[in-house]
Amino acid sequence: MTATDVAGETLSLLPERAIYWPRTKTLIVADLHWGKEETFRAGGVPIPLGPVHADLRRLDRIIEETSAERLLILGDLWHARAGMTLSLIGDLEQWRATHASLAIELIRGNHDRRAGPLPNALHLTVREEPAIEAPFVFQHFPVPSVAGYVLAGHVHPAVVLRGPGKQKIRLPCFWFGREVGLLPAFGGFTGAAEIIPANGDRVFVATDTEVIEVSACRKL
Amino acid sequence: MKRLRATPQATIERWFKRRGWKPFAFQREVWAAYTRGESGLIHAPTGTGKTLAAFLGPLQEAIEEGATGADTPLRILWITPLRALAADTMHSLQAASEGLGLDWTVQSRTADTKASIRNKQRKKLPPVLITTPESLCLFLTRDEGRELFADLRAIVVDEWHELIASKRGAQTELALARLRQRNPAVRTWGLSATLGNLDVACEALLGVGGVGRIVTGQLPKQTVIDSVVPNTIARFPWAGHLGLTLLPAVVNEIEAAESCLVFTNTRSQTELWFQAILQARPDWAGIIALHHGSLDRSVRGFVETALADGRLKCVVCTSSLDLGVDFSPVDRVIQIGSPKGIARLLQRAGRSGHRPGGVSRVTFVPTNALELIEVAAAREAVALGHIEGREPPDKPLDVLAQHAVTVALGGGFDAITLYDEVRSTRAYRDLTPVEWEWVLDFITRGGDTLKAYPEYRRVEFVDGLYRVIDPRVARRHRMSLGTITSDASVQVRFLRGGRLGTVEESFAARLKSGDRFLFAGRTLEFVRLHELTVWVRLARKPGKTVPRWMGGRLPLSTELSAAIRDKIDQARQGRFDGLEMQTVRPLLDLQALRSRLPAPDELLIERLRSREGHHLYIYPFEGRLVHEGLAALIAFRLSQRAPLSFTSAHNDYGFELLTPMPIPLDDALEGNLFSPMSLADDILASLNAAELARRQFREIARVAGLVFPGMPGASKSAKQLQASTGLLYNVFREYDPGNLLLHQARREVLDRQLEQSRLRRTLDRIAASRVIVVDVDRPTPLGFPLLVERYRESVSSEKLADRIRRMTIDLERE
Repeated sequence: MTATDVAGETLSLLPERAIYWPRTKTLIVADLHWGKEETFRAGGVPIPLGPVHADLRRLDRIIEETSAERLLILGDLWHARAGMTLSLIGDLEQWRATHASLAIELIRGNHDRRAGPLPNALHLTVREEPAIEAPFVFQHFPVPSVAGYVLAGHVHPAVVLRGPGKQKIRLPCFWFGREVGLLPAFGGFTGAAEIIPANGDRVFVATDTEVIEVSACRKL
Repeated sequence: MKRLRATPQATIERWFKRRGWKPFAFQREVWAAYTRGESGLIHAPTGTGKTLAAFLGPLQEAIEEGATGADTPLRILWITPLRALAADTMHSLQAASEGLGLDWTVQSRTADTKASIRNKQRKKLPPVLITTPESLCLFLTRDEGRELFADLRAIVVDEWHELIASKRGAQTELALARLRQRNPAVRTWGLSATLGNLDVACEALLGVGGVGRIVTGQLPKQTVIDSVVPNTIARFPWAGHLGLTLLPAVVNEIEAAESCLVFTNTRSQTELWFQAILQARPDWAGIIALHHGSLDRSVRGFVETALADGRLKCVVCTSSLDLGVDFSPVDRVIQIGSPKGIARLLQRAGRSGHRPGGVSRVTFVPTNALELIEVAAAREAVALGHIEGREPPDKPLDVLAQHAVTVALGGGFDAITLYDEVRSTRAYRDLTPVEWEWVLDFITRGGDTLKAYPEYRRVEFVDGLYRVIDPRVARRHRMSLGTITSDASVQVRFLRGGRLGTVEESFAARLKSGDRFLFAGRTLEFVRLHELTVWVRLARKPGKTVPRWMGGRLPLSTELSAAIRDKIDQARQGRFDGLEMQTVRPLLDLQALRSRLPAPDELLIERLRSREGHHLYIYPFEGRLVHEGLAALIAFRLSQRAPLSFTSAHNDYGFELLTPMPIPLDDALEGNLFSPMSLADDILASLNAAELARRQFREIARVAGLVFPGMPGASKSAKQLQASTGLLYNVFREYDPGNLLLHQARREVLDRQLEQSRLRRTLDRIAASRVIVVDVDRPTPLGFPLLVERYRESVSSEKLADRIRRMTIDLERE
């Protein structure tokens, strides 16, 4: 885990593609896209079982490591209505039961809105955006706010690193600009969009085991 | 007195006589064979009467049976690889049917066919139908296809050499098996250019056990191969492929010709050469044109017609004009850059000299010095009659999965019957029951039965038959039929509406308002990108950027590679035969001076230290695909000894490995560096890093129906089903590693991209050779082209995090 200072607060950036905010004991994640595999399967595209369960185990791990009391989701928890199958909801309910004391809050994203009402058994609190908790403003969409520093999802940011002899690696990243900070997508079955950071932006790539700051690269 | 009715043969002879022709012996041979019920393959260069050889047999039969009326049901199916050829073929077949007095209409059915005609064809097909493999498969998805094809007598597959080595070929084989199964008496004839493996081509066409006659068409006309050479090699580029150095000479050659085709190897080069020629000779505006696959169809059609009518002095083109349509006015062919293969050079030469007694002549224009060796080698190979074969694919499961869904849609199938039918094709003759079972699982349950794919739905098993029930699945399958994958492309249109063609999305995305670029022979100014369309206006000022299109560069063929090694060896012995070798001599002398010209039993390795790092240049002379595989293999084996990250470059002569740290070459050479042992394992291990398989998976995912071609204006719910093939590849690798489509990706990389069998032969050859290591202090004439090779790929054994840290540090130092 890599600690960094954002808007005067200390945040831990986790290689599991999440942020831990120690002062409020809050884990922050974005873009889980639950039910995406199921949506694909129903549409005739065979996606194997697995990604969502790996995501849940990843969540288990960071909840335990950080002893977080609250999980804040910055949108796109559900991929689509077609993905809300009974068996998936059953698995998720079971997972929820193992974290009964954890508060889960969701800021709805564009996918959540189209997916419709969420299963009650997940015991989520849905919050409207902007959700202001000074110094932060939590949103799904990365638009600047007068109310504070925005932390958001939606983009699935990734950055391409280049080395000598045209070596190239593409990795999901955290991206902190002047007014808005973005989280990488948490879901294992999600794509990513390449970003081009501006001068002064701070960028951290998430490998499977480490978070590494790459802001020092002049040419990202 | 009433005249006796003429026999069909007499009718044909009379028709030929009226037109001042005389049937060739091979045409008579095919007609007679057809009448006896035989199938077969006719090979000859384009424009030598293959069409009539294949067509008149079935016509003669129809006349004999009295099936000459306008209401005759479908009897002859004509499959063509290029829908652009359909119109031209339609005219010649129509002319022949009328000439023989039949009251037939010849129609075509391709993606271009109007909806009104399609609807009529759904109820009744014309006696002769011209179609593409993709449109034929669309017929197979309809249950009513069965009756429509009931009277089918003959299938002709045109330009079979163009299909055979691709997945479209496998798709065609499956479709032919389907038609033969429904109608066992049908006869199949293929038309092909001359190949090195005609027997294989014939078996692929007729299926396993099919007996066919291989007929040699009219003997090739005389073919002249010459070249334009630079006055002095000193000022001529050592590398690159866009050199316009020889432009004045090319303009002179065009001037001297009546009508001339200028072939280049890429679409970008076509644009550049067209502009350059036009700038040199502005007075040719209007009588020169360009032609390539990304231009709008209307533009291409216009150019083809003008060329056939003799209205154009010159067309700059790509392989888009390799095939089909007969351009009799063309009397000269110019080839810019190496054609990379002997068959291709002959095919292009054959586009000229179609007049009686004409001579085919191709003039070669090198774009860099070493290409002079290639043309000298090609001429020698032609003289010796060495010509490449084309290998059909070996049971690609993505194509089979697509075909199984097609058949499930077209009335459903029984698993055992279809298995036998599929195994009657050459491509799938070795399909195992396990593989077939997997394909069935893939289309019904999503994959391996042991891996759960809950709620999956595509093909369903109902009342003993595999069928498609869901209309959305049916619609998506019909829309995405085919095996041709192309990069996401966007339309280019004028603001006032005219369509120019397409460029790749990645190119369009980089354009900024006001940017100027060359396309369709004009300089265009980018206005905006909106809804998959690049809107442009004519630019007032000239522009330099040219769109790039993906599409691998062709590797040097095995035959031509061998011929080049001979030429290098001749040079080593001081033999420089012919103008090309004389011209390139100073460069080869320099190579010998700074380093060495390798003998046939030597492998040359040059070692160089530069600011960039430590370089190895290795020259097996085996074509770029083999070198790409060798580079990955050697990099992998070296990195097993020390944590090293390599970047590599490869061309047709050799490859370069570059690393920031010193390379333990001497140790490695004593070990197993070039050993043919554990080749496949090492290659696959190195591929995991190189991610070649991930790239190959793109095509497989598309053909197997895992991703759909972009549908403009697709609804949100359709977009929810879009994922990049890279993401799908990752998910399969992690959660269903036994998925056979992954195996296929690896196998295709080994067999097709890396030419594994050729790679193995290369390693065997190296094992029997002496390895010569030469330390050089700057790049040699052979090494320099590798230095400038743009495409680079990295293979690494270092931990990802270490690599990132080092990249970061290196970037800081810059």
